[in-house]
Amino acid sequence: MDRLLANPGRLLAIVLTTAVVAYIGWKVILSPEQALQFTFNGLSVGAVYALLAMGFTIVYSTVWFFDLYYGAAAALGAYGVFYLRSQEALGGQYQVNTPFVNVVFAAVVAGVVAWALHTAFYNRLRSRFSPTVLRVGGGLLSAGAGAYTGIILTYPKELHVILSPAVGLAVALAALWGLSLIYRRIIGNRGLRPFLWVAALGAVILGAYCGLLIAQAPGAKLYLSWAVSCLLAGAVGLALYRGLYMYMRQRARSPLVMLVASLGILLAITAFTTIVFQSAPRPLPEPFGSRPWSIGGATIKGFNVFTVGMALAGFFGLLLLLKRTSFGRAVRAIGDDEEVSKVVGINTTVIIAVVFFIGAVFAAMAGVLSGHDTAIQPRMGLLLLLKGWIASVVGGIGNLYGAIIGGFILGVVEQFGIWDLAGEWKDVISFVVLILFLSFWPLGLLPRK
Amino acid sequence: MRELARNPRAALRLTGGNIELWANLLVISWAVAFMLWQGVGFAITLGTVFAIWAILSVSLNLVVGFSGLLSIGHIGFFGIGAYAMAILTSDASYEQLRTEAIPTLGWPFFAALPVSVALAGLVAILVGIVFNRFRDDIYVLVSFGFAIISFNVFLNWRALTRGAFGIHEISRPEIGGWAFDGDLAFLALVVVFLAAVMLVSWFIVTSSFGRVLTAIREDEQAASVFGYRVTHYKLAIWVISAMMAGLAGGLFASWTSFIDPNSFILLESILLVSIVILGGLATIWGSLLGAMTFVLLEEGMRFLPFLPNEYVGQARQVVLGILLVLLMLFRPQGLVGRFKL
Repeated sequence: MDRLLANPGRLLAIVLTTAVVAYIGWKVILSPEQALQFTFNGLSVGAVYALLAMGFTIVYSTVWFFDLYYGAAAALGAYGVFYLRSQEALGGQYQVNTPFVNVVFAAVVAGVVAWALHTAFYNRLRSRFSPTVLRVGGGLLSAGAGAYTGIILTYPKELHVILSPAVGLAVALAALWGLSLIYRRIIGNRGLRPFLWVAALGAVILGAYCGLLIAQAPGAKLYLSWAVSCLLAGAVGLALYRGLYMYMRQRARSPLVMLVASLGILLAITAFTTIVFQSAPRPLPEPFGSRPWSIGGATIKGFNVFTVGMALAGFFGLLLLLKRTSFGRAVRAIGDDEEVSKVVGINTTVIIAVVFFIGAVFAAMAGVLSGHDTAIQPRMGLLLLLKGWIASVVGGIGNLYGAIIGGFILGVVEQFGIWDLAGEWKDVISFVVLILFLSFWPLGLLPRK
Repeated sequence: MRELARNPRAALRLTGGNIELWANLLVISWAVAFMLWQGVGFAITLGTVFAIWAILSVSLNLVVGFSGLLSIGHIGFFGIGAYAMAILTSDASYEQLRTEAIPTLGWPFFAALPVSVALAGLVAILVGIVFNRFRDDIYVLVSFGFAIISFNVFLNWRALTRGAFGIHEISRPEIGGWAFDGDLAFLALVVVFLAAVMLVSWFIVTSSFGRVLTAIREDEQAASVFGYRVTHYKLAIWVISAMMAGLAGGLFASWTSFIDPNSFILLESILLVSIVILGGLATIWGSLLGAMTFVLLEEGMRFLPFLPNEYVGQARQVVLGILLVLLMLFRPQGLVGRFKL
């Protein structure tokens, strides 16, 4: 008690928290049904914030840098889905001056693929093939990937047909990887060569079957477009790190340099989106589960449950990735001390680039999910950026558990806050939450150790 | 030539290394050429826009360049000044015709201008006391939030601001029967205010107060060890800068005679930061240069054949964003700056 009185800030924080909890409790007692409704709304909004906050957190805990590009990535993700599915959303393909944009994205993908091939295979294959062969081969492969991206973006109507080989390939590779894992773990080195051949054949057949299935399912287009636009936004994030931030980190004096550069990128991409898609709000097509369910007097849409599920799945996926794999160990090592991890032989460039990719994919997913919930507009990224940032501050900067908890808490508090006020003040409420947390609880609920 | 391709810095040596001189010459000759080409009437409009942006960017440079606090919420103070001017001076007889009337006072311009400056300063004191404890990226975050909050207040406090409808019929300045209703007269007024702001800023940065600010920017802890009250200094410069922004807002509202919340969105604030960084951190002249480049960029882009007219503003944002990235890569102090971020 003496220690509390000695620190008035701490005391005030506790009083404020108690007041907020008491207010919410009072509201719950007053009308439980409405409270349940607000909780549902808060959870579905909070899931979006949590996804963004996780994207921020994985990057922040690795390189201590808030990438403002993720605001643009959210908008890019949503507008990617809008463009690819404008057939359903607007009743007719949206007429935009696409060739330039398509070429830009194709070039980004080609660059990323070229970089990935080079880092993954160049040194391993150098002893067997001449450098010319490797360069030409890698160049052809990455040009092919770029051309494929261009084709996908140019003919969004036949998305399911065009993407079916890619899906088939991905499924086959995943199956092969899983089977090889089984082979190594269970059968080990005790022979049984025929198993490998049969397994490989099975994986290829499975991949081909999935590809065919996709090719005949036009309903899958919406979900394929999610994947395409999230991966594209991720590829842009990776390219930005490899092409820009990496050099800045080497020579910058203060972290603000990178922050300002990413501010410039945010500005440029937001304006570019406005040029291509105009600034009017637009709808995304209806996904599954848009009919509200009624639970205990409150209603919730199936899609919102899916959103919450996505946030949880993303959280557990990231957790597994960070805690159980060698990649995760490398990420945590870089977060602790980058120089030392370089010394012990971790390829920091690759690891950090992949981290930026993952973060951007999370941000884009948040943009897509919130876009299906409300309308989209080019400026949506700025607000989502702020909310994701606040959520990660509330939970504790750089802590993955904190990110998801902070996202949900921010969403619920925001919804309960507009109970007595009008709905348009919810941004003000989350800003007040931010200021209170920064003033009295600057490390967040779950501080990073 | 081959040497040049291998080492781009050789180009700097070719120009005598004086990038500042060339930047100045380029922008000024661009401005002069533009004026000659487009005629005087256009130049007056452009000059007014330039002067208002210049007041804003000089004021922001005091905070970003001289004190090292990267604030991207400055547009909030601009908006506060503009709304104070609008509400105080909006024409009362016109306001009574509306369905959704707001209180109108019909004050004269020169009575309302001090109020908008003071109001911006007052808000800045309250905001600054809270913001003072933050630094670096957290400071960016909270100022980002401040811009969004002030926009929200302008948009949603309908009893005072009429929300998205905006406020019309804001009066032009008038003193002793002599009205600044001509564009040229208004330009003269704005330029006088710009000169005053520059004078004050110059006075601040050359005084001992400015030297303490620079010391705080370089090493806050060392400055406080020497016995300077760091928080007081930071708060003081923040409030002064906000008051200048409020002044710019008042002038802006009076000049356009119509304002709505869309003039005060976050993107404008980011543009403002990019102007300051483009022109140069910790120089007053650099801010003028940045504002001039910014204004000319838009007007220059109007004449690009492949760019439709409604996209000019957006295209300028794209160019500024890319410029910001390039500056951060190659010249982190801006064109003529003295302080590297």
